[in-house]
Amino acid sequence: MPGLGTSFGRGGATTSQQDLANADAILIMGSSMAENHPVGFQWVVEAKKRGAKVIHVDPRFTRTSAMADHWVPLRAGSDIVFLGGLIRYVLENGREFREYVVRYTNAPTLLREDFRDTEDLGGVFSGWDDEAGKYSPESWLYEGAKPKGGEPGHEPSGSGHAKERGGESQDDLNPSPRDESLENPRCVFQTLKRHFARYTPELVEEACGVSKEAFLRIADVFSSASGPEKTAAICYAVGWTQHSTGAQIIRAAAILQLLLGNIGRPGGGILALRGHASIQGSTDIPTLYDILPGYLPMPLFDAKVDTLAEYIERNGAKKGWWNNIDKYIVSLLKAYYGDRATAANEFGYGWLPRVTGDHSHQAYWIEMADGKIEGLFVMGQNPAVGAPNSRFGRKAMAKLKWLVVRDLVEVETASFWYDSPEVARGELSPGEIGTEVFLFPAAGHAEKAGCFTNTQRLLQWREKAVDPPGDARSEAWFIHHLARRLKARAKLDPSPRNAPLEALAWEYPTLAPHHEPDIETVLQEINGWRVADRFLVKDFTELAADGSTACGCWIYSGVFPEPGHDNNKAAKRAPEDFYGRGWGYAWPLDRRILYNRASARPDGKPWSERKKLVWWDDGARRWTGNDEPDFTKSKPPDYRPAANAQGDAAIPGDAPFFMHPDGMGWIWVSSGLKDGPLPTHYEPLESPVANALYPKRQKNPAAATLERPGNRYAAFPDRRFPHVMTTYRLTEHHTAGGMSRTLSHLAELQPELFCEISPDLAREASIVHGGWATITTARGIVEARVLVTARMPSLTIAGQIVHQVGLPYHWGSRGLVTGDAVNDLIAFSQEPNVRIMESKALECRIEPGRRPRRAGAVEKLERLMEEPAGNA
Amino acid sequence: MTRERIPDDASEQALDELRREAGARGAVPRDGIRPAGAPFPMPSPSAETGYYGLPVLKEPTWTWEVPIYFFVGGAAGACAALSAAARWTGADAALVRKARWIAAAGAALSPPLLISDLGRPERFLNMLRVAKIRSPMSVGAWTLVAFSTSASAAAFADLVDRRLGGSVPVRVLADAAGALSAVTGLGMATYTGVLLGATAIPAWYENAAVLPAHFAASALGSAVGLIELSGRSDRALNALGLAAAAAEIVVGASLETRRGRSLEPLKTGRAGALIRAGGVLSGPLAFGLRLFGGRSITMRRAAGLAALAGSLCTRIGWVAAGHVSARDPIPVLNAGEDRDVEGGND
Amino acid sequence: MSAEPASARVRPRITGFFTDSTLCIGCKACEVACKEWNEIPSDGFVWSGLSYDNTVSLGHSTWRHVKFVERLPVHGAGGFSSPDVSWEFSSDVCKHCEVAGCLEACPTGSIVRTEFGGVYIQPDVCNGCGYCVVSCPFGVVDRRPHDRAFKCTFCYDRQKAGMVPACAKACPTESIRFGELEVLRREAAARLVELRAGGVEDAVVYDPRDTSVGGIHAFFLVRGDPKMYNLPERPEVPTVRLRPAWRSAGAAAAAILTAAIGAFLFADGK
Ligand SMILES: Nc1nc2c(c(=O)[nH]1)N[C@H]1C(S)=C(S)[C@@H](COP(=O)(O)OP(=O)(O)OC[C@H]3O[C@@H](n4cnc5c(=O)[nH]c(N)nc54)[C@H](O)[C@@H]3O)O[C@H]1N2
Ligand SMILES: Nc1nc2c(c(=O)[nH]1)N[C@H]1C(S)=C(S)[C@@H](COP(=O)(O)OP(=O)(O)OC[C@H]3O[C@@H](n4cnc5c(=O)[nH]c(N)nc54)[C@H](O)[C@@H]3O)O[C@H]1N2
Ligand code: SF4
Ligand code: SF4
Ligand code: SF4
Ligand code: SF4
Ligand code: SF4
Ligand SMILES: [Mo]
Repeated sequence: MPGLGTSFGRGGATTSQQDLANADAILIMGSSMAENHPVGFQWVVEAKKRGAKVIHVDPRFTRTSAMADHWVPLRAGSDIVFLGGLIRYVLENGREFREYVVRYTNAPTLLREDFRDTEDLGGVFSGWDDEAGKYSPESWLYEGAKPKGGEPGHEPSGSGHAKERGGESQDDLNPSPRDESLENPRCVFQTLKRHFARYTPELVEEACGVSKEAFLRIADVFSSASGPEKTAAICYAVGWTQHSTGAQIIRAAAILQLLLGNIGRPGGGILALRGHASIQGSTDIPTLYDILPGYLPMPLFDAKVDTLAEYIERNGAKKGWWNNIDKYIVSLLKAYYGDRATAANEFGYGWLPRVTGDHSHQAYWIEMADGKIEGLFVMGQNPAVGAPNSRFGRKAMAKLKWLVVRDLVEVETASFWYDSPEVARGELSPGEIGTEVFLFPAAGHAEKAGCFTNTQRLLQWREKAVDPPGDARSEAWFIHHLARRLKARAKLDPSPRNAPLEALAWEYPTLAPHHEPDIETVLQEINGWRVADRFLVKDFTELAADGSTACGCWIYSGVFPEPGHDNNKAAKRAPEDFYGRGWGYAWPLDRRILYNRASARPDGKPWSERKKLVWWDDGARRWTGNDEPDFTKSKPPDYRPAANAQGDAAIPGDAPFFMHPDGMGWIWVSSGLKDGPLPTHYEPLESPVANALYPKRQKNPAAATLERPGNRYAAFPDRRFPHVMTTYRLTEHHTAGGMSRTLSHLAELQPELFCEISPDLAREASIVHGGWATITTARGIVEARVLVTARMPSLTIAGQIVHQVGLPYHWGSRGLVTGDAVNDLIAFSQEPNVRIMESKALECRIEPGRRPRRAGAVEKLERLMEEPAGNA
Repeated sequence: MTRERIPDDASEQALDELRREAGARGAVPRDGIRPAGAPFPMPSPSAETGYYGLPVLKEPTWTWEVPIYFFVGGAAGACAALSAAARWTGADAALVRKARWIAAAGAALSPPLLISDLGRPERFLNMLRVAKIRSPMSVGAWTLVAFSTSASAAAFADLVDRRLGGSVPVRVLADAAGALSAVTGLGMATYTGVLLGATAIPAWYENAAVLPAHFAASALGSAVGLIELSGRSDRALNALGLAAAAAEIVVGASLETRRGRSLEPLKTGRAGALIRAGGVLSGPLAFGLRLFGGRSITMRRAAGLAALAGSLCTRIGWVAAGHVSARDPIPVLNAGEDRDVEGGND
Repeated sequence: MSAEPASARVRPRITGFFTDSTLCIGCKACEVACKEWNEIPSDGFVWSGLSYDNTVSLGHSTWRHVKFVERLPVHGAGGFSSPDVSWEFSSDVCKHCEVAGCLEACPTGSIVRTEFGGVYIQPDVCNGCGYCVVSCPFGVVDRRPHDRAFKCTFCYDRQKAGMVPACAKACPTESIRFGELEVLRREAAARLVELRAGGVEDAVVYDPRDTSVGGIHAFFLVRGDPKMYNLPERPEVPTVRLRPAWRSAGAAAAAILTAAIGAFLFADGK
């Protein structure tokens, strides 16, 4: 989540779901919270009861819209225009929270003279290299900042997850010049004003299809619910992230919230609603290829970080919290390699693998299709249904030598070789697929103990309720015993490539009867301990860079400060206050609302009685309040760092965003994002609409289309695919359906794949409600039942009617209820920062009736692709 | 609603046609048609159409045996009443006997019909756990038990009486049983009307005061018909047949002249046709045959046959009308809007 | 509230459901929780095309049912938001009538009133006669084919164990409120005032107390005409028709008997 990370310092939701109840307005956009986070939505309902205005901006009228005070339908893929419009509205009407903006954000900071805006360069920022297809972000730096060695920004092989802390390129101990009057034309504030000057209500109307009146109403409701006495929150989820401009949409929200002074304050914030039960956990302790636990970057081969010292120098920061990176990486290496990690061998830094290229999900699949990957473990995922371009994906899996699937049921990913549509269509034949498939039964979440980290960074321990049936075992069991066996093998073969495995410290006590590893010991290791006596550390402030401590994930440190189940703070179940302290453990250090120092004025007093959260207690000489202060507790508001101070000591007492070297919230992100310091509207990679701002830059230049046979795109314009298509979830199902299509109580609630279209489109395309329709994109073809509904309005975009086709994506070829996999329609594509696919806005065609059976379906698609795309 | 459906291309095409028609005309008024979500656009829920026009009530779950039982039980019950009346008035003993035997046969047939609807014999016994005066089904179950017992006892006593030669105690027993079967038989002839009338189904409850009398007349007509068909041609029977047919004419006329959406199932569709056919057969037709047939036995038998057929149609028709009525939400939703329900609160 | 006689105080409290549809988000957690707890089989996998409602109604295998009242606005071609799109959700359930048609009608005594005031079918007593099915003015109870009658038990088992019914427990927004009936009724009245004050003019409480049903223990707050939710305006318990019906039966029986005696006496003048 580099959108949040670069703006505020940490890549997690800034607030908690409970805190939404304190909001005066809640903007839900890019999420159908009531449908996909129904339990958390109770706090929105609570806020509404207390008088808050709820706004939902979504192409569809969803169950969330039904609960909102205002629903605004917009064209999928036009969010930056809408948010940019809000930003401009705030700036033009002087609605910003001046003192907050001046004191807590980088709005006053001056920028370099050689910076050029998209407005000057027709849609790209300065530094764009058309040939290389990437930015050199040097000109985005603050004035006077000197880039640290090498090239600032990202190495091509990396992805964006490690750049949460941002700013490695401006780690200059001399503060950059600021103009607190915000008048200097080169200050961030004025640059921002110019950048968004053209995002007028008229543009919003033209590009989003939102009427001017509706837009202005929302702008007024939202901005007038902000200020010293009021706060407004924003909730988003994958309706924002799954775009080729995903991170920048979130950036736009961050800018808006910083301008309105809504970060770090009760009822404010940006709530990133996460997905699977522990998806936040899976970036904290990552399943991503480019980071290590706690958002420490993986060493990149091309970044020239061969030694530990180089790594620390390159990724650390002199000022701000990231000054501590040496303690965290060394403690992590100690956790990995135990006694084998010594100062002499750089604590085993050399054993860490180097990232040599893009190893994200989609890159994997493409390499698989090219026969470059031999084997694959798929654990708790069903890519044959849930991953983009699933048709391509299923065919790619047929190129593997072996495939291990661990799941609760035999999902489509495990059965693709005999019952996929490709087999039915004669594209694959079981006899010819060489892939050996191993299906392992997995223990479900109630069948094993462990920890979830939820959407608000809250670690919640889960006890085992029942024993898993039969041979089903936990992931921990599988990994633990797999590691043991691999280590045993490595011992037999002392070749250098086995050294890291061999060096791995892998001692976990196991429990009868199945030798399940004791998962609480794992959590203790994550918390960290003193190496000498395994005495648990209190929290990450006790970690050291000399190898005397080991810690599996520094941000979680503090969750298990003393031995004994009673001290497992994730397992605490006695909430003591409104923010739920005493229930679970929110990283870091049980802080529920991040950056909450910003809830007080620079002088340490609350902005208002109504919105107080933490404040400086002058008597006790410490920060106190209703939440755990997210600030060094003893640092007074008037603290000013000494000239050569480093680390946290270099952060003044009135700089709430202390993860950043300047302690400020970043309206301007000078490094850490691959597609610009400010959000800019580009059309989705596939869109029937021309970019109203930059005719020459239709789409995000930094995004990758990964175009190739099997992953084709519609042309622009393309009369074969005239409609906007978007995909989403239904409350009744879960993602790729392995857990819902197999259960009768859920399957019966939404038994068939359907599409949602407007009455206008239905009439135009002669499609009947309740009947069938065939939906085609350049990648695939699916059939769906038809719900004709006014909840899916057609919109007027630049004078033209644009129809939108909505499709939930939960069906596949197995289970109690089956249907075509909608992801057959989605393209592989990569947003530049996190490499996510664009599944929320693309182009499709819709026709009445069912698709042809068997090979006919593919033939129909190919015939269509041979037709000219040109305008009729 | 039917839940199993295996669509093929032809059926889908047919459905699409229907939907188009529904889209153009608002609805497709054909039997058994409810294409998913039609008409197009689907009827928004409204105060006028309810929730997508879906039924409020549940349809009766009874199987085909139930209306047959209504018919058989009613006819048998009325037979028992006739035999007792004949006995008390000193009419021909053979007539008494015939009527008793017909009643007994009906009494023997009724429980199996009910049990077949319930599924298992033990289930019928559950009915006898309690006696609930406010439940017509409970009253009916006990009535049936009493009737079956007394009607067969009367017939059996009659048999014993004949085989063993006149014995006073047996005859007294037979008469007592006969009297009991007459009382319970009248219950059998009428309670099924109460059973339907005191429900939530508009087409039935709107006729709560009509149905018992209607079913009684129907039962009387068929009892007369049965006895006549068994070879009797007493004038009294003809007179009773005339009375029953006259009553049916009155009922029929009153049904036909009343209007209202909740009565539509009685006049339209299969149920309406059955009820009307039943009405004509057991009303005007039976009446005419008897009135104009003079002394012709054939004509009387024809009248009896018409009454029987009519009665069967009536019972099947009324149960079917209940199904149709249960499917129509409008009268249920709007009930009581303009009019106070005639109510008792005992 | 006022001083009650001691005997009344030891009686278990009469509980109820207040389903506030203005808080319902249509998540169907109640429907699923009910099925889970009561181990109810599936109701078939048929797509209805009726908004998001595919289980369509309460029945023998759906004891909680969430309705999706989607009203079509008058649609013009294209254009901007249709401000009058509305989508109401309401979780339906057995009403646990004060005077319950099903209970009155049941010939086996299977349907009883529990100490919590709920209407409960004892599954081991029911014989599947189906009379309750046609006696429920709300179309709630249904007979499973070739089996017995089923409906919401008001989680009698859970209530006995001091637990909240499964559906209410699962409801994330407290749209389903469970508690003491009279307290809930007061809450509903207060909520109505609050909603009306907040401009929600069309909110109504559906609790037919002035008909022979005499009020329902599971009552609803909905927006718009309750009839859109298939809630009848004036439900009557079928037993109100007993008197006219039996009167008719009695008269008819008397008529038959009189006619028969008369006929045999006079017509057959021997
Ligand atoms: N019941 C249920 N809950 C779930 C899940 C589930 O499968 N089922 N999945 C979980 C997971 S993994 C995740 S990631 C989350 C996702 O949670 P959400 O992000 O809420 O999920 P979606 O339904 O995919 O998308 C949200 C909304 O985005 C809208 N949308 C589409 N395109 C655009 C656009 O361009 N702009 C805007 N503003 N909106 C757009 C869609 O109409 C949809 O209403 O939910 C989690 N919760
Ligand atoms: N078109 C389109 N595509 C999308 C999205 C979209 O909005 N639109 N959303 C995307 C998002 S946000 C997500 S998260 C993905 C989800 O896509 P996937 O992750 O592929 O889908 P799931 O069905 O959640 O797969 C999880 C599997 O894990 C199994 N499982 C559950 N518990 C356990 C366990 O404890 N151990 C093991 N081994 N297995 C377990 C389940 O049975 C299930 O099959 O889909 C993505 N794809
Ligand atoms: S499924 Fe779990 S995580 Fe998702 S809303 Fe329900 S309770 Fe929350
Ligand atoms: S709603 Fe129907 S089933 Fe429920 S108690 Fe009332 S009459 Fe009985
Ligand atoms: S079906 Fe069962 S519960 Fe219903 S009336 Fe008959 S015996 Fe009673
Ligand atoms: S009270 Fe119990 S049985 Fe009734 S609907 Fe709720 S969960 Fe189901
Ligand atoms: S659980 Fe609550 S919010 Fe969800 S559908 Fe049921 S009543 Fe509505
Ligand atoms: Mo997700």
